[in-house]
Amino acid sequence: MKFLRRTLAIAAKDLRSEIRGKEAVNASVSFALVILLLFSFAFDLEPAVIREIAGGLLWLIFAFAGTLILNRSFARELVNDCLDALLASPLSGAQLFLGKCIANYVLIVIVECISLPVFVIFYNVVPQRLALLFVVMLLGTWGITVIGTMFSAMTVNLRLRELMLPTLIYPMLIPALIGAIELSRVLITGAPLAESLFWFRVLVAFNVVFTILALALVEIVLVG
Amino acid sequence: MSPQNFNFMFYGFTVAWLIIIVYVISIAWRENKLRQELDRVKRMVEENEQANTRRQ
Amino acid sequence: MRLKIIVTLSVLAGAILAWNLYRIFLQVPDEASQGAIFRIIYFHVPAAITSFTGFYIGMFAGVGYLLRRDLRFDSIAASINEVSLAFATITICTGSIWGRIIWGIWWTWDARLTSYFVCLLIYFGYFMLRRAIDDPTTRARLSAVLSIFACVDIVLVWKSIEWFRTQHPGPVLEIRGGGGMAPGMESPLWWNFLAFLMLAAALILIRTRQEGMRREIDALRRYANAF
Repeated sequence: MKFLRRTLAIAAKDLRSEIRGKEAVNASVSFALVILLLFSFAFDLEPAVIREIAGGLLWLIFAFAGTLILNRSFARELVNDCLDALLASPLSGAQLFLGKCIANYVLIVIVECISLPVFVIFYNVVPQRLALLFVVMLLGTWGITVIGTMFSAMTVNLRLRELMLPTLIYPMLIPALIGAIELSRVLITGAPLAESLFWFRVLVAFNVVFTILALALVEIVLVG
Repeated sequence: MSPQNFNFMFYGFTVAWLIIIVYVISIAWRENKLRQELDRVKRMVEENEQANTRRQ
Repeated sequence: MRLKIIVTLSVLAGAILAWNLYRIFLQVPDEASQGAIFRIIYFHVPAAITSFTGFYIGMFAGVGYLLRRDLRFDSIAASINEVSLAFATITICTGSIWGRIIWGIWWTWDARLTSYFVCLLIYFGYFMLRRAIDDPTTRARLSAVLSIFACVDIVLVWKSIEWFRTQHPGPVLEIRGGGGMAPGMESPLWWNFLAFLMLAAALILIRTRQEGMRREIDALRRYANAF
């Protein structure tokens, strides 16, 4: 119980400060819109083809925009030695990490919920099974969040933090991204879902494995 | 041996060996640099020690 | 003592490779459909296995550091990962050349090449991280954690890309090299693998010693600057 309460306290703190400032979400949404615009120039295709690649485009947008939020996650604690204060507090590393994960997760899902309707309008792609698509979004986003927050903790004290985070996390995220892209493609184009159930398992396995691994190792990364 | 693919096989082998050789050369160069730096730092430490003993 | 081990290993590796080269060129017959290029498998597959083995042993060396907090483990881990990266580069380059002959294109996003490329990218990130951190203990700690994540991830990457390529076959089918080779043709493969392992071991020993020198330099600098 104490674990959960402390974790949620950290999550609430981050979310509260973000809601008051709205910096990261604004930047992230703007970035997502810019990418949507650029994709419209890069991929000027017929509607049928756009439907096929919509899953891929969508998850690229989510991954790129999400990185902006993930970068700030631990970096914002560097000011005024807040990170040292947090580490010196009775919080365990896992509680701090999980709290930040949850806050990042909520923020990225907000960005996604704003980007998805814009995507649908711009590209004239109406997903057939919206509820399932939302489930896929939730699953895939947790994978991105866990890896992103973990590597944000790792790179927090480095000079080239903003450069290193994307370089480190995108290769790691490939199983989750492939799974999410495939499932989104199937759900958007209306293809039969049965043969793609494997990807659900990949997503869930990815999330479970890396959440456990991150919770186990984050203390070493943060404290030593 | 069929001449058909011989050229490319040769290229393939060359690439593999080239990478190994380049890597070994880079290791040797790094060794050289490290030795020079080690000698330099050791000399610096000795000079510091002598300066300290002289001061005392 | 150590120098003797390194020299012995290198000489043995060189001898085996030379002898094997003779066998590969003269004794092994041409493969029916691929012709002479087939022989590149004798470099491609051993390099692949060596690099993968290296990455996983490097992970265990990293875990060793986390358990023992001895910087020597970190030196070993960094050396192993670096040598494995070199062998992984060889794998990708020879695989690409092989593909150029067989399929006419320099690169194809088939499962093996793609997974290898991802592996390469992850370990480029590993060395980038190492270079960005100045403090040796922090560097050792973070690279150990990164290598654990990397090795767990590589399994998932491999499996998911394989399944992706089964569902979306590329313009070419996979290289099915290794499965179903005639018995006479297989043994040079394992000999080359042994030679590569010995070569890798020699290079790792040299690199580990260099890392030790680097640590000695850092310690002497700190000592010199303390006065």
